[in-house]
Amino acid sequence: MPKLLEIRDLRVSYGQDVVLNGIDITLEAGETLAIVGESGTGKTTLGLSIMRLVEGTVRGDISFNGRDLLALSDREMQQIRWNQIAMVFQNADNVLNPVYTVLDQVAEPMVAHGLKKRNEARDRAAELLSHFGLPKNRFAAYPHQLSGGEQQRVLIAMSMANDPELLILDEPLSSLDAVTRSEITGLLKQTRSNRTMLVVTHDLDTVSKLSDRLAVLYGGKIMELGSTKEILANPRHPYTRALIRAYPNMTTVKDLQGIKGRMTRPVSGCPFHPRCTQVIDICPREIPELLPGHGRKIACHRGGIITLLSTRNLTKYFNSLKAVDSVDIHIEGGETLALVGQTGSGKTTLAKMIMGLHQPTEGSVYLEDTKIDNRGKDFYKRVQMVFQNPGESLSHRLSVLEAVMEPLEVQGVGTKEERIKKAIQVLGEVELPQTEDFLRKYPHHLSGGEMQRVAIARALMLDPALLIADEPTAFLDASIQAKILKLLLNMQEQRGLSMLYITHDIAAARKLSDRIAVMHNGRIIEEGLSNEIVAAPRQDYTKSLLKAASAMN
Amino acid sequence: MFSKRSIITYAIAFAFIITLNFLLPRMMPGDPLMAIYGNEALIAMTPQLKAELVERFALDKPLWQQFGAYLLALFRGELGYSYYYNAPVLTVILGRLPWTLLLVGTSLVLSTLLGIVLGIESGWRRGSRTDRIMLTGLMSLNGFPDFFLGMLLLIIFGVTLGILPLAGALTPYSGLSGPALVLDVLKHLVLPMTALTLAHLSSGYLLTRNTMITVLKEPYMLTARAKGLSPRILKYRHAGRNSMLPVVTRTGIWVGRVVTGALFVELVFAYPGVGYLTYEALLTRDYPVIQGVFLLVAISVLAANFIVDLSYPKLDPRVAYAY
Amino acid sequence: MHIDIKKEIKESGPGKAGLLILLVMIALALLAPVLARYNPFLQTADSLLPPSWEHWLGTNHVGQDIWSRLLFGARTSLLVGFGVGFLSTLLSTIFGISSALVGGLYDKVVMRIVDAFIVIPAVIIVILVAAYIRPSILVLIMLLALLSWQGGARVVRAQALSLKERGHVAAARSFGANHFYIAWRHIVPDLGPILLVDFIYGVRRAVFMEAGLAFLGITDPTMVSWGMMMRDALRFSYLNVWQWWLVPTGVALSLTIIGLTFLAYAAEPVIEPRLRGAEVA
Repeated sequence: MPKLLEIRDLRVSYGQDVVLNGIDITLEAGETLAIVGESGTGKTTLGLSIMRLVEGTVRGDISFNGRDLLALSDREMQQIRWNQIAMVFQNADNVLNPVYTVLDQVAEPMVAHGLKKRNEARDRAAELLSHFGLPKNRFAAYPHQLSGGEQQRVLIAMSMANDPELLILDEPLSSLDAVTRSEITGLLKQTRSNRTMLVVTHDLDTVSKLSDRLAVLYGGKIMELGSTKEILANPRHPYTRALIRAYPNMTTVKDLQGIKGRMTRPVSGCPFHPRCTQVIDICPREIPELLPGHGRKIACHRGGIITLLSTRNLTKYFNSLKAVDSVDIHIEGGETLALVGQTGSGKTTLAKMIMGLHQPTEGSVYLEDTKIDNRGKDFYKRVQMVFQNPGESLSHRLSVLEAVMEPLEVQGVGTKEERIKKAIQVLGEVELPQTEDFLRKYPHHLSGGEMQRVAIARALMLDPALLIADEPTAFLDASIQAKILKLLLNMQEQRGLSMLYITHDIAAARKLSDRIAVMHNGRIIEEGLSNEIVAAPRQDYTKSLLKAASAMN
Repeated sequence: MFSKRSIITYAIAFAFIITLNFLLPRMMPGDPLMAIYGNEALIAMTPQLKAELVERFALDKPLWQQFGAYLLALFRGELGYSYYYNAPVLTVILGRLPWTLLLVGTSLVLSTLLGIVLGIESGWRRGSRTDRIMLTGLMSLNGFPDFFLGMLLLIIFGVTLGILPLAGALTPYSGLSGPALVLDVLKHLVLPMTALTLAHLSSGYLLTRNTMITVLKEPYMLTARAKGLSPRILKYRHAGRNSMLPVVTRTGIWVGRVVTGALFVELVFAYPGVGYLTYEALLTRDYPVIQGVFLLVAISVLAANFIVDLSYPKLDPRVAYAY
Repeated sequence: MHIDIKKEIKESGPGKAGLLILLVMIALALLAPVLARYNPFLQTADSLLPPSWEHWLGTNHVGQDIWSRLLFGARTSLLVGFGVGFLSTLLSTIFGISSALVGGLYDKVVMRIVDAFIVIPAVIIVILVAAYIRPSILVLIMLLALLSWQGGARVVRAQALSLKERGHVAAARSFGANHFYIAWRHIVPDLGPILLVDFIYGVRRAVFMEAGLAFLGITDPTMVSWGMMMRDALRFSYLNVWQWWLVPTGVALSLTIIGLTFLAYAAEPVIEPRLRGAEVA
C-alpha cells in the first residue's frame, strides 16, 4: 500500500540548537499516529516542518504521496497547505486573527484556494462549526469573545475546511475541561475514519483514545515506535516507561514519579542517557538507532529495558521443609517488584538466596543474563540489601559514620577522605543530618526510623543497581513507615534503582511497586502489573489479602 | 495603543478655544472695539454702528457679561463682519472652505493610504535593501517642511518646466465647464496636494511599519501561512488589517497637522483656501476673520478627531465596548 | 532595565548620521559671528547677486549676504529649538511625575487637560496669539513650550506609574520620603532615556514650528530666521535666484530636522525594545 507520508532522516536546527536529530516516520493512509514527548522535545517542530512552516534549517526527506515536500517551490507548497495537509494549532492567545469573525476565518481557505464561492464557503463553514459543537449564535463572534473550548472547536472545524488528506493536530485538547475533552475526542474519532492524522501531544490519555500507533520523541530522536496499545501496556524503553509512570490517570496506583534529572541540550550519544537507569559505556558515545525489538521499534543500545535480575526454578529445602518452590521471578532495570506474602511464605528465604546468604537447593540466579554461581565483590556492587531490623543489622559498636562507610572499606574503594565525603553525601540523600555530632552517634542513640535510614544509606554506598528491601518498615511506627516508603521511592527516582520490595502489606506494595508477585507456601501463585493485580486478582488467596488490607484502610 | 478620549476631553478643548478667542482681544490695551475689529474697520465704521456693536457685545459691561454676549452671538452663528472683504466673516470663510477641504481631504486620504501601503510592504520586508531604502528615504522626506516641498515643486514643475500652473485653484476668467473644468481644477490641485501628501506620508508609514513588525510575530500569522494563503493576502488581509489600527487612532491628530500644513502650502501656491485667507487676514490685521478662522478650524479638527474616535471600535472588535 | 542610549545611537547608522549633522549645525550656529562675512542685517544696493567669492551664496532682494544670514538663521532655529525642547521636557517631567505620584483628582484633571491640548493643533493657537502680539523670541519659546509638553507628559506619567510600583520606591517611602525626594532620587534617573527622546522630538517640533511661523511672517523680524528667508525667497521664485537663495536655506532647515529625526529614531528602541535589531544598516 502506498505510504501517505514518509519522513526520512529529518534534521531541524535553529542555528546551533539541534531540535530534531534524524527522524524516520512513515504514515499510511487512514491511520492515526501520535507523537509523544514532554515540552521542548521538538514535537511541534516536527508538525511544523511537515508543513514547511519552520524558520530553521531543515534537512532530510519529507515525502507526501510520493512528492518531496522540501523540494517544492513556495507556490507549490501553498497549494498543498490546507488543501492536502492542514493543521490544528495549539490553542493560545491570538492563534486566530482578532479582527475577523470565526465564520469568516473558517470560510477563508475555501475561497482563497478557489474551492468555493463566498456564499457556499460560508454555508460549509457553518456546517463544520455546527458539527464540532459551536452554537449558531457564536458564528459571528470574534475570537476574543469565545471561551477556550469554543476556540478549540473553531480551530478544528477550520482545519477540515478544505477536506485535507492529512491532518496534523498539535495538542488539540490541552485547553479543554474533561467533559469537553471527551466530546471533542469523540468527534475526532469520527473523522479519523476517512482521514490520516498525526497527533502531537504530551497527554497520554489523548494518545490512548485517538491513535493506532505511537512514536515517543525525546531529545530530537524517536525512542520507541509501535502500536499504541502495546506500548502503553508494556513500555520497553526506559523513557517511555518513565513517561507513563509520571502521568496521572485512573489506573495509576504507584505514586507519581518524576523522571530523574532534566532535559538538557545538546547531549552526545543517546539523548536520554543522562536520565537513564541502565546506562553503559557506549550510551554517551553513540546515538542508538531505531531498530526492531519486542514487537516494535526501539532506540536503545541495550535493546530496551533490560532484565536486571531473574531466577529460574529457584528451590530451597530446609531438611524436608520446602521453603521455596520453583520460583521464577524477574526484575527489570528501574522497576520495583513487590514480593507479597504472609510470614513463613518463604519471601525472606528467597531474598537471602538471591543475596547468596543461603545456597539454593535447585535452580539459579541470573544477573543481567549471566548466571551467578559465586558472588564476589562485583556482585555486591550491583545488589545490596536492607534488612528488617535495623537494630540488629547495624553493629552497636560502630558509629553512624563507620557503619555507613563499612561497605567502601570492605570493597577497598577510595581513600579515607573520599569515603567520608561520600558517606556524608549519602546521609544527606537519605535526609539525615550531616553534622559531626550525628556522625559520631551510635545506633542506640537513634530512633527506629533514623536507624533504618542509616541502613539504607549504607546499602546505597556502593551505588547498587538493585536494592532488596526486606520488610524495611516492619519494626517501625506507622507514621515513620510512610516516610521510609517515600524515601525509597525518591532513591529509586534519583538513582534509577531497581527494587525488590518484600512485604506482607499489599497496600504498601501497591503504592511502591510496578509489579507484584504473590507468594504462598513457597510458590509464586500470582504475578503481574500492580494495577492489574489490585483491580482484578485471580487467585483467591490474593483476593483475601486485598480484603484484609482494605479492611484496615 | 488606543486611548479613550471621552467627551469631557473634547468639552475642555472646546471651552479652551472659545475662551481664548474671547479673552485675547479683550486683554489688549486700548479700545476693545479696535482690538476686536482692527484699525481699518474702525475707520470705516459709522458712530452708530460702533455704538450698536458696543451694545451687542456688551463691551462697556463687566467681563462675564461680555462673555455671555459673546457666547450668544456664537450660537447664532455670527462670527462678525469683515470690513476688508465687506462681508460677514462666516460668508467669507465658507467661500474659501471648499478649496481647503478639497486640498486637505485628498492629501489626508492619499498620505494615509499610501503611508499604510508603503508601511506594510516595508514591514513585510524588514531588514532588506528595499526596506532600508524606503525607511531612510521616508525619514529624510519627513524632515522637509511642507512649504519647502511646495516651493521646490512649484519651481521645478511650475517655473522651470512650466507644465503646471503657478497659482490659484482655477484659471481665472476661463469660463470652463464640465470635464474641462474638472481637469483645470485638478491641474491646479496637483502640486499643492503632492506637497502636502509627501510632507505627511512618513507618519503613517513609520507607524504602520513598526506595527507590522510586531504583528508579523503574532501566532495568527503562522496560522494564516499554514492555510496556504498567498503573500498578498497575508500582507494585507491579515497583517495589514491589524497594522493599520494605530494609524486610524492617530488620524484624528493628524487632521490637525494636515490642516496647519495646508495653511503653508496654500500660501506657497496662492491657493484660495482658508489658509491663504488667514495669511491675508494677518497681513491686513482683519481680526474678525482671524478669529473666525481660528474658531472654525479648531472646532473642525476637534470634530474630525471625535468622528475618528467613534469609528475605531468598528475596526477593532476588541474595543467594541469603548462607548 | 539597563539600556545605554549612547550605545544605541553609536551603533545605528542613521543615529550616527543624525548626530553628525546636528553637531555641524550647532558648530555653524556657535561660530556664526566668526564664519559670517557680513553683518546679516546690513542692507546694500547689491541685490539679487549670484554667488561669488565676495558673497558665497549671493545676496537677497535687499542686498543682504545670504551665507551670513544662513549662519545666523541657524542660531535662531537652534535657540528656539533647544529652548522649547528643554522647557517642554521640563514641564512634561513635572506634570507627568506629579500626576503619577499624587494621583487622585489632580491626576484626573491634569490628564484631561493634556488630552484636550493634544487634540488642538498648536500652530493655530500661536497664529491667533501672534495676530495680536508680536512675540519676541522669549515669548515665542514660552508659548511653544506651553503647547508642546502635553504629549511627553503622558509618556512620563505612564513610566512614572510603573516605576512607582518598584521595590526601591516602596522602601524609600518606608523611610518617610516625600514625593519630591522620591521623584528626584528614584524616578527621574530611570526616566533618563525617555526624557532624552522626548527632548529630541521636542527640539525637532520646535524647529519645524518656528520655521513655519517665521514663514508666515508672525515672528520677531529683528531675528534672522530660515523661515523668514524662505518667505522672502518665495516672492522671487520666478527669477532664477532660487538656486542659491531658497534651496540652501530649505536644505539647511531640512537637514537639521532630518538630523534630529534620525537621532530620535536611533534612540527610540530605548522606549520600545521590540524594535531593536535588524534595522537600517
